[in-house]
Amino acid sequence: MEVLREKVEEEEEAEREEAAERAEWARTEKMMRPVEVRKEETTLTQEMLRDLEKKLSEIQIPISAELPAFTKDTIDISKLPVSYKTNTPKEEHLLQVADNFSRQYSHLCPDRVPLFLHPLNECEVPKFVSTTLRPTLMPYPELYNWDSCAQFVSDFLTMVPLPDPLKPPSHLYSSTTVLNYQKGNCFDFSTLLCSMLIGSGYDAYCVNGYGSLDLCHMDLTREVCPLTVKPKETVQKEEKVLPKKYTVRPPRDLCSRFEQEQEVKKQQEIRAQEKKQLREEEERLMEAEKAKPDALHGLRVHSWVLVLSGKREVPENFFIDAFTGHSYSTQDERFLGIESLWNHKNYWINMQDCWNCCKDLIFDLGDPVRWEYMLLGTDKSQLSLTEEDDSGINDEDDVENLGKEDEDKSFDMPHSWVEQIEISPEAFETRCPNGKKVIQYKRAKLEKWAPYLNSNGLVSRLTTYKDLECTNILEIKEWYQNREDMLELKHINKTTDLKIDYFKPGHPHALRVHSYKSMQPEMDRVIEFYETARVDGLIKREETASTMTEYYQGRPDFLSYRHANFRPRVKKLALSSAESNPRPIVKITEQFFRNPEKPAEEDVAERVFLLAEERIQLRYHCRDDHITASKREFLRRTEVDSKGNRIIMTPDMCISFEVEPMEHTKKLLYQYEAMMHLKREEKLSRHQVWESELEVLEILKLREEEEAAHTLTISIYDTKRNEKSKEYREAMERVMHEEHLRQVETQLDYLAPFLAQLPPGEKLTRWQAVRLKDECLSDFKQRLINKANLIQARFEKETQELQKKQQWYQENQVTLTPEDEDLYLSYCSQAMFRIRILEQRLNRHKELAPLKYLALEEKLYKDPRLGELQKIFA
Amino acid sequence: MNRLCDSMEPRVMDDDMLKLAVGEQGPQEEAGQLAKQEGILFKDVLSLQLDFRNILRIDNLWQFENLRKLQLDNNIIEKIEGLENLTHLVWLDLSFNNIETIEGLDTLVNLEDLSLFNNRISKIDSLDALVKLQVLSLGNNQIDNMMNIVYLRRFKCLRTLSLSGNPISEAEDYKMFICAYLPDLVYLDFRRIDDHTKELAEAKHQYSIDELKHQENLMQVRLQDERARQEELEKHKTAFVEHLNGSFLFDSMYAEDSEGNKLSYLPGVSELLEAYKDKFVIICVNIFEYGLKQQEKRKIELDTFSECVHEAIQENQEQGKRKIAQFEEKHLSSLSAIREESELPNIEKMILECSADVSELFNELMMLEMQLVEQLEETINMFERNIVDMVGLFIENVQSLMAQCRDLENHHHEKLLEISISTLEKIVKGDLDEDLPDDLRALFVDKDTIVNAVGASHDIHLLKIDNREDELVTRINSWCTRLVDKIHKDEIMRNRKRVKEINQYIDHMQSELDNLEYSDILD
Repeated sequence: MEVLREKVEEEEEAEREEAAERAEWARTEKMMRPVEVRKEETTLTQEMLRDLEKKLSEIQIPISAELPAFTKDTIDISKLPVSYKTNTPKEEHLLQVADNFSRQYSHLCPDRVPLFLHPLNECEVPKFVSTTLRPTLMPYPELYNWDSCAQFVSDFLTMVPLPDPLKPPSHLYSSTTVLNYQKGNCFDFSTLLCSMLIGSGYDAYCVNGYGSLDLCHMDLTREVCPLTVKPKETVQKEEKVLPKKYTVRPPRDLCSRFEQEQEVKKQQEIRAQEKKQLREEEERLMEAEKAKPDALHGLRVHSWVLVLSGKREVPENFFIDAFTGHSYSTQDERFLGIESLWNHKNYWINMQDCWNCCKDLIFDLGDPVRWEYMLLGTDKSQLSLTEEDDSGINDEDDVENLGKEDEDKSFDMPHSWVEQIEISPEAFETRCPNGKKVIQYKRAKLEKWAPYLNSNGLVSRLTTYKDLECTNILEIKEWYQNREDMLELKHINKTTDLKIDYFKPGHPHALRVHSYKSMQPEMDRVIEFYETARVDGLIKREETASTMTEYYQGRPDFLSYRHANFRPRVKKLALSSAESNPRPIVKITEQFFRNPEKPAEEDVAERVFLLAEERIQLRYHCRDDHITASKREFLRRTEVDSKGNRIIMTPDMCISFEVEPMEHTKKLLYQYEAMMHLKREEKLSRHQVWESELEVLEILKLREEEEAAHTLTISIYDTKRNEKSKEYREAMERVMHEEHLRQVETQLDYLAPFLAQLPPGEKLTRWQAVRLKDECLSDFKQRLINKANLIQARFEKETQELQKKQQWYQENQVTLTPEDEDLYLSYCSQAMFRIRILEQRLNRHKELAPLKYLALEEKLYKDPRLGELQKIFA
Repeated sequence: MNRLCDSMEPRVMDDDMLKLAVGEQGPQEEAGQLAKQEGILFKDVLSLQLDFRNILRIDNLWQFENLRKLQLDNNIIEKIEGLENLTHLVWLDLSFNNIETIEGLDTLVNLEDLSLFNNRISKIDSLDALVKLQVLSLGNNQIDNMMNIVYLRRFKCLRTLSLSGNPISEAEDYKMFICAYLPDLVYLDFRRIDDHTKELAEAKHQYSIDELKHQENLMQVRLQDERARQEELEKHKTAFVEHLNGSFLFDSMYAEDSEGNKLSYLPGVSELLEAYKDKFVIICVNIFEYGLKQQEKRKIELDTFSECVHEAIQENQEQGKRKIAQFEEKHLSSLSAIREESELPNIEKMILECSADVSELFNELMMLEMQLVEQLEETINMFERNIVDMVGLFIENVQSLMAQCRDLENHHHEKLLEISISTLEKIVKGDLDEDLPDDLRALFVDKDTIVNAVGASHDIHLLKIDNREDELVTRINSWCTRLVDKIHKDEIMRNRKRVKEINQYIDHMQSELDNLEYSDILD
């Protein structure tokens, strides 16, 4: 009954397949049509036919033979574990089941391609694909999420195209081998990624299907680089404020509405025109960028990863292309069809029609109509119970069970034959093969390096081009890591020549951003700072050839802005460098935030020092309920009145406008004091400006030095790169080693050479023991004497030499050059040192020798092998 | 030292003396010349030193309104007086005088440093106003009671105290006592108190201090409670429904009603009264809650109104500021152009242009202001209408609720009358089985008396209810009119101020231009 039912199903399936094929055919036909149309229109001549033939023969299926194939003979299989080379009985059973399944499948669906069930592994052993998956949770927290996992796989492995782009490969290697050689085809990529994803808890599946040309060849040249895509500006929805009950009515609008409308209309027309032009332009560009039609469209085999929603808070099903590590929606048109998919537990065949790419597929793996499964009872949780009632399902299960030919209901997938997937920390850090990877995007090129690979800390570089051929550079972005000067990103705009350096917090000058065109001082530049790290609260300093503007925040004196205008430098006759000849300042403008402790009319908002005109202008803050602010202007004039007395202060030296005139401010005394105060302030401000200039010079100098040195910082936890800790560790090891040696020495057997003379294994007689002891002691005594003699000899030799040298010096003292004399002196001091040391050693030896002798004697007494001796004395 | 001066003639603090002192202590050198030229006003003086001048009486200081520091040491002052106006005083030195009591310092709330060294003071007193006091010097006086120290506990900022040379400093416990009772003190008699001494002192006087603290805390709590209650009442008062959240009104009805109280002893009346009271209180509570709700509503209304008005004014100000900023930018450039121009006709032309600009600015600003006035007027009128409506509605509802009270009262009155008459009948018939109090029985002489008594009670009750109602209505009405008046007045003031400001500014601009003209012509 089940067979019948299956047959019916299969027939339906076949019909659907046919429909799909027809659709496929229709599509290819459509693609071909332009040629055909032309063919029909013109009468076919011989030349044309020949031409066509020629053209057709020119079309080649692009088989990338030139790429280094990842073949079997490059793999050393001798070191692989047993599970790689043989199959366990359970695996054999599984293979039988798979074969049976495959036979049934090919019988029922003769027009579908054979299943990709058990390719050979590196040891030429057939292995079922599900057992090749080895779910592993990586020990790196960075690899916990799918996006970083996918990025890692795509970075770590080099892509090798399939030997035959139209067929699944005959071999599927284990992930450990693939990781070892850092190469693989799409199946290797997706197997590795799938193992990692399942390990970290995702509901992930390997997919065997069909993909577009770009996808299969990892061709990103038609994709926009993800790094260049600007994050979409989140349009802040303006909260519509409900007009409050007492909101005043706006003043009456006296403009003509008709005119406004006309204006709006005109504007709209212009805009529409512009839009149209833009669209046309875009279309033209799109046309240029569009891919050439692919002759094998829809037939290219590809493998990728499917992640189903549910686990790990994944809201929606999606695909991951393991080559690029990008995620795609299941509706994406680059994925043209699915043949089968599997995880570590089961294998499913897609029974749905893929005429419309994967857009109509429903990933409900529990639905046996849509997905034919191979093993029963492993993963029924997928079945959505809402569609069919329970009894129906049960029936079906029973029926299926019958159909599976006494298949053991509880048969589940054997354990993976693949070894534990391991990635060493070095490999993880290096990421890309040899630590370098280049990806070509549309109008962009991305280069990646492992950290510390480049001596200047460069880790990636994005070059953006103007044209599709990538010849005309638009801008370059370079990312750095671990730099001591905290440089993070360098942005070079080739069209404007503007360079922008971005820094992480921690630069000695608290730099944040530095944009400049040249490193020469007094040129256009903007330097931004981390203001919290600076004592003076400076945020930004902008410079042009003749001005300098500074912005401040959070200062106790409420200064917010300082702007200085310079005059070109006057040529001085005296010799003076640029640093000691600052540019004369024409004008300093300072602005202040409101100081809440002062009343508004005493709180200066802006002061302008016109140094050239000896004039000071003050503008005060505006009171909350006023629209005008007080102003004051001081003219610094030092004049002499008719009697020759110096005029200290006259009323016309201070012009002031006060919102609320007050008595005390009219006084000359008050004005005089204010002016004196301002004079002092002016001096300070001028000084500040010069200081700032000096600081800029200093920063530039420092930046140049840093650029030249580009030292990298090494974390104290980085045991491999941290030289200091390495040295320390080595020293520790050496000490340990020496300690060990010493211990070995103490355990040295004094008796061994003497015992060797006697026949082994026999117990020593007393006489023998006494002899042995005496020999040993006399030998040791001799050694001690020898040693003393040796030291003595050396001592004497040194002394003699020194005496000789001294004599020579005495004789030749007059004729010696200073260098010779120096040499002599240094020799003398060294010789003296050596003599002294030798003397000390000799003395020490003399002291220690008897002690050592006694110690050995004691030791020999206690030696168990010479127990005979003790017996006598006991 | 002041003993020496006793022989000399006491001097009077007159104008000359003060002027001399101010002149001597004022600015020096160039600034001094200016000061002399102009003269210094007493009210600009911040610090004044009047020592060793044999002053007997403090006088003539009322002009020094802004004085921060006053030194009157080494004189022969006997009484602290004449300092009432110096409210900004921070530093007052009255050492080496003949003062006997502390007085006359009640207005010096900003005083931080007070020196009364070497006087004849025997009691620390009258310093309550000096909440910011940090340094108090009372050495070489005649303070002889330790309890004076406890008085100093109220000064939370006091850090430095000197009391040496007083009789109390002779006591053996002197230092410990002060350290214990004034734990925040840092310096005593010019020496820093070390932590060890503090600990010792604390241990020694722990019990008495704890008791003191406990009392202080109790006082504090009581004060807080009182304040909270006051606030609550204040809140109810702003809602015009104070004392309506309970039986207060009912109780007050019976407070002055002797007949009513007497009548309540009649059989059956007490139950009746109980029920009546319950109903009455429910209505009162209704009024109370309704009043609070309405108050909330009025508050929200007022808040939105003031918010909107504020916004409108702010926006208008911003516009004005922008206009002025634009104008100033243009004006500055044209002024500098005028200065550089040398041709007289050109100058005149430019000046004319400038003054045209000024008058245009004036027009623009005034137009803005007029616009704002119109807008605000409209809004204010709308608000006025609404608030008057609200108040009217509130009064109406309260009146209807009060009418319910009155109905209750009438009902109660009828019942009471019925009972009274039946009781009277019973008494007349002589079959009253219960005992009645004598004064109540005295009412049951004849029908008129009892009816009158009941009627009088009823009248009193009605009067009370009416009074309460009237009070509520008049108060809310006056609140309403005052509010509206204030809003109108504020708006007028605002307008005046703005117009004045604009005029002032324009005048300034114009006079600046005129000056320019003059100087040019002179040139």
